[in-house]
Amino acid sequence: MATRAVIAGVGITPATSPRKQTSSSLELIQEAVWGALQHSGAAPDSLDGIVIGNIDGFEGTVLGAKHMVRRLGLGPDLPVSILNTGGTTGGNLVQVAARQVRAGDRRRVLVIGGPTFFGAEDLQSAINTNSPMIVEQPLGMGAYHMGAFYPSAYTERFGATVEDFAVSAVQDHEHASRNPYAHLRNTMTVEDVVSAKPLSYPLTMAMVCPVSTSANALVVCAEGTTEDLRPVPVLIKAFATSSDPYLGGGKNDFAAMENLAILAQKVYQLADVRDPRAEIDVVEVFSPYAPMQPMQLEALGFAAPGGGIELIRSGATRIDGDVPVNLSGGPLCTNAGVAGELAPIVYVALQLMGDAPEAMQVPGARRGLAHGTGGTFFQFENLAILERM
Amino acid sequence: VSDVITTQRVHWDLNYDVHLGATWGRFMQGLTEQKILTNRCPECSRVFVPPQAYCESCFVKTDEWLELPPEGAVEAFTVAWLGFRGGPTPPYAIAGIRLDGASTLLMHYVGGLDLGNPNTIREQIGPGTRVRAVWAEERTGQILDIAHFEKI
Repeated sequence: MATRAVIAGVGITPATSPRKQTSSSLELIQEAVWGALQHSGAAPDSLDGIVIGNIDGFEGTVLGAKHMVRRLGLGPDLPVSILNTGGTTGGNLVQVAARQVRAGDRRRVLVIGGPTFFGAEDLQSAINTNSPMIVEQPLGMGAYHMGAFYPSAYTERFGATVEDFAVSAVQDHEHASRNPYAHLRNTMTVEDVVSAKPLSYPLTMAMVCPVSTSANALVVCAEGTTEDLRPVPVLIKAFATSSDPYLGGGKNDFAAMENLAILAQKVYQLADVRDPRAEIDVVEVFSPYAPMQPMQLEALGFAAPGGGIELIRSGATRIDGDVPVNLSGGPLCTNAGVAGELAPIVYVALQLMGDAPEAMQVPGARRGLAHGTGGTFFQFENLAILERM
Repeated sequence: VSDVITTQRVHWDLNYDVHLGATWGRFMQGLTEQKILTNRCPECSRVFVPPQAYCESCFVKTDEWLELPPEGAVEAFTVAWLGFRGGPTPPYAIAGIRLDGASTLLMHYVGGLDLGNPNTIREQIGPGTRVRAVWAEERTGQILDIAHFEKI
């Protein structure tokens, strides 16, 4: 039987805005790495690989990850794998580390997600360089304009209102207020969200993620090699990625997350999940625009099409509900680029270990879902099911 | 902390030439002649606009060309109240437009709308709204050879 991969330690730095951040990218990464090693109890010389990512151009360099690793002080001989898959880099870091371990090539891999939204003076302009050149980039479409197409189409099909789209923002902020690592920890009302500055119909400023600075790291090990480590290991039970046509115009349907639904079927089959709402205890989805969250919950099978907003309103996705979602506050309250993309896996692993901050710990959580997505039109998805061992 | 220097400004300013290839080259040439040239998959019969050399579902070459009318219906849209540096001046409307006979959406501006009142946007360009291309006077083989679409 093939080796299985487990997560056995995570490190998170507190997040803040670029303006208030006094540490460098390297310093934040060092803090996250030392945090992960301390949490796991792994000695630096027990590592046999590093997987790190960046997003070309977002930091004014295309060497965003490469020039970091030697300066971590972990020794000159560690093999380094660099990933650069835009908004899915963070989720893919863990998938690559898990594949290296499952292949038997590595036994203990350090995974690093840095603060890659750190530098750009106008991040929307930087993100817009990722949108399809030639036929879509000249049309004034920045990231949140593209994100606005989904709720616009969803409104047409299901009659949702701006007030409806505000519910996940209100809940994410409520959750973030209990997460000591979150960037935006203020609570909001539906009225606050609806009356915030209009960005791109029907999105308001309060429905869009902040630009944060923070770093995350975790340790991926071969199953059965963690006797010297402190946390209860978390099995990376199943994972996969998916993508649809790159052009926004190649989307078949903006009122549903079709690509994610296809991916969920595949991952649930690998993990033998038949009834996601009954079998999954904790969920972190990547919804940097609030209206994405109900649509993602529908695609993941937690609600029927058009039922995602009602699921959130019912209280089911709160900490005391049957399927708590984004207890971290999600990317809507903290989004530091690759660190933000890695965050869903970090927080789900913490929950399953029983090591989440007390105010956000789901008692007895045994199985979790961690999701990531990227691309200006969210063409690329990644999904993982994790289990407490 | 106020005397600690935390940042240094770095600037990038680079130009690139993106090679279009035969398929998009023909599409762009068509735009200069006020034609929307597309192609069709021989197996699934889907019509791609902009055209693509292969059908990514059937993995076959799409070498049957056809011209589509410059008219269609809005399927999804947004109105940008806030833009970004280097982008157009807001407010402006962008839509995913299903040209008559197309299997994909063409993203483009919708002009000629009254964007002063957010509450009237949906009734002006909600899904199903019929639109037609307005050609730019000077056409050089780029997507903005269609200046924008307008309601029919």
